Amino acid sequence: MSAIHAKNISKTFHITEDSHNTVKHRLFNIFNPPRNKAVEAVKKMNFEVKKGECVGIIGRNGSGKSTLTRILAGVYKTDTGHLKINGSTLLMNLGVGMSHELTARENIYISASVLGLKIKEIDAIFDQIVSFAELEEFVDTKIKYFSSGMVARLSFSIAVNAGADIMFLDEIFAVGDMKFQEKAIKVFESSWIEGKTVVLISHSMDVIQKYCTRTAYMKHGKLEYFGNTDKAIELYLADNF
Amino acid sequence: MIKLMNDWFRQSNKLERIWLMAKIEFKLRYYENKLGLLWALIKPLSEILIYYVAFEVIMKQGIPNFVSFLFIALICWNFFVESTSGTIQILKTKKYLYEYTNMNKMEIYLSTILSNCIGLVFNSVIFLVYYTFISGTEIPITSKALLMIPIFLNLILLSLALSLILSSIYVVAKDIAQIWTVVIGVGFWLSPILFKLDTFMQALPSLAYLNPISGIIINIRKVALYNEWPDWTMFGFNYIYAILLLLAGALLLNKLGAKASEYL
Repeated sequence: MSAIHAKNISKTFHITEDSHNTVKHRLFNIFNPPRNKAVEAVKKMNFEVKKGECVGIIGRNGSGKSTLTRILAGVYKTDTGHLKINGSTLLMNLGVGMSHELTARENIYISASVLGLKIKEIDAIFDQIVSFAELEEFVDTKIKYFSSGMVARLSFSIAVNAGADIMFLDEIFAVGDMKFQEKAIKVFESSWIEGKTVVLISHSMDVIQKYCTRTAYMKHGKLEYFGNTDKAIELYLADNF
Repeated sequence: MIKLMNDWFRQSNKLERIWLMAKIEFKLRYYENKLGLLWALIKPLSEILIYYVAFEVIMKQGIPNFVSFLFIALICWNFFVESTSGTIQILKTKKYLYEYTNMNKMEIYLSTILSNCIGLVFNSVIFLVYYTFISGTEIPITSKALLMIPIFLNLILLSLALSLILSSIYVVAKDIAQIWTVVIGVGFWLSPILFKLDTFMQALPSLAYLNPISGIIINIRKVALYNEWPDWTMFGFNYIYAILLLLAGALLLNKLGAKASEYL
């Protein structure tokens, strides 16, 4: 069964010189439409990720990896084609999105619920999330009073403990200090690689080789190759040197 | 079909989530103040006081039971304004919910309108208590007042529809917020909130149909204050209005609102 099934998807960004983002501006410039430059970030492609699979995406900077993951996660709308996502997704750089107006407790409940957990399930892992983030004393404090480190820990803790059905990990192993990275890798290996569908974006070929069964290699917005990880890495390295 | 729906609800946590978000939204709006829920009531009460002085004491319109007459209309109007003007920037303020996930944006709208409904129910209860025990009216409340429920439902659908439309337009045109403030300002005086129904219908007969809020206010007064049946033509017309706008809203959300994570 497939977790993500994408057919003929593509994405073009129109970068305008001046932004026509008000009604007034649009009316006054009705005969003078904004000049825009089209950037084809993702060219037409098919993509399938099976349930429980760990798939890698590699390519140089600007090759469209991030845009592709945003589309596959359902965050960006595709311009063409059809996309079917079975389950909740989480695009994870550092953690989940949170509201600064809410307390840590409220953020935990809302974010975990968005990731697909039921209230009872959240009750069960609530303490775990709080202790992982080391925020036991600040559960009912609004996070706008938190330091940036505290916010980051909470956000990461919710993401790792709740976890969506399909996780998109964008360079997660390159963020934070050593201790943080170790923690991330530990959770990643113990709870995600087994049981969850994972899409891994990384410049580290060791990471990709270690975890991914299949890997996609992208170049200039085009899916050059999708299949055997070793072959994808080989193509990528050949292009780099 | 029912079994299928049942399974879907049990398996997914959608309803639970919408209710959770509505509760938190409601708490954010009212409980943060010392006066709490009373704020929801203070607004219509202060408005009633102002309009009572202007239209009954000074201009002597001569509408019987003017306070109840205003109260029920203002409950509807304030709900409409809060659910439309108050949600134009919703895709921006709630961006944290969908910028990293594939959460269905419709849930954000449903939870917000649900949280407004809590206020609506609270105000309606206060109205009914006032009308029955304090207003001194001779017209008793009968089972016809139950028709307030479908009329409120109409109001909720209409508000949701406009909320969808306006907030989707906001993605590409930010000044829609200012434009809507003007529309709401004009709309207030072009709705039969303050005027006698006869005077309103004589002066602006077509507006009762053109302005979707008019019909709702006219009908809710009929069932809640005058123990009459609603004007069924208007009732049907208003429902069709709301449903068509709702379809347009869903379409716009899908077209423009879906691009919120790129543009906002």
